[in-house]
Amino acid sequence: MTGRTKKLVLGLFVWSIVITAAHGWLNVNWAMLWNDRLPFDKRKLNVAYIPVT
Amino acid sequence: MFQGFPEIKEALIANKIQVAFMVAPMAIALRAQGVPIKIVYLGHRYGSAFVVRKDGPIHSVKDLPGKTIAIPSRFSDERLMVFRALKANGVDPKSLKMVEMAPPDVAGALAVSAIDAFSMGEPYPSQAEIGGFGRVLFHAREYWPDYMSCVVVVRQDIIDKRPKAVQTLVDGIARSGMWLDKGRDNRLAAADFVGRLYFNQPPKLLTWALTNPIDRVVYSSLTPRKPDFDLVRDLMIETGVLDKKIEFEEYIDTTFAEGGHGLTAWKWQPGDEQAN
Repeated sequence: MTGRTKKLVLGLFVWSIVITAAHGWLNVNWAMLWNDRLPFDKRKLNVAYIPVT
Repeated sequence: MFQGFPEIKEALIANKIQVAFMVAPMAIALRAQGVPIKIVYLGHRYGSAFVVRKDGPIHSVKDLPGKTIAIPSRFSDERLMVFRALKANGVDPKSLKMVEMAPPDVAGALAVSAIDAFSMGEPYPSQAEIGGFGRVLFHAREYWPDYMSCVVVVRQDIIDKRPKAVQTLVDGIARSGMWLDKGRDNRLAAADFVGRLYFNQPPKLLTWALTNPIDRVVYSSLTPRKPDFDLVRDLMIETGVLDKKIEFEEYIDTTFAEGGHGLTAWKWQPGDEQAN
């Protein structure tokens, strides 16, 4: 693999990590995922609302 | 937090959420379609209004023929409220157009004249008033004395397997309602922390909605009552969004509303770390 190719692969790898981390931070509700792993009777209830009466 | 009732409906059916604040007709329709849910409490009474452009041509319900009105859902009390107003004023519902719109979009749509009016829950009527482009033509109570809109819906499996959790939830909602209805100071505090931390809306908007007038939205008398729901069900049948009679006991569970004994308002004021 040439030096240029290695740089390209490394850059793509770093970019993938950055995008994955951003997605995980912005779009994944980790609290809900963790809650789903708890026993049924220990889970918090997920309550939905719209900011409207 | 969601932005529209259809999304809440799908999340409830998929068990992504177990409890939802939802407009009452949607909850009744879901149960009639076999979705295993029950209504256990009301969210509030009143708090919906019909709003027109402040400087527009509509000054009475009789001016509505030919107009476009936004509603949150065909399965909403806001839609039924419009039908009651039309009937009381002798206006044919077929003479105007109703369009479904997500609640956060209606004030902006009215401001740019994309719609002629909207029938919606707070704080969107307040948003139009504060923005200077909207005028309340009527509040829900004018045509519906015991008006209710949002109800608390719980999945049946949660009711069956975790009744204590449901009781805790209903008691908490009841105590919050008592706290809000204690007076203006509590409503001002709620407008501040709810606006900043939960609704992502300006506190002054919620202040207007909760205090102009002080009973614009009421948080007492929230136990589900058969006459109220029979009225909603019958209006749904009359207006074509429900095709069969469903009995109160099939979609309401009053045991939790009746199970809260000796409840008092939360003891909390700004600066306290938690309520007791």
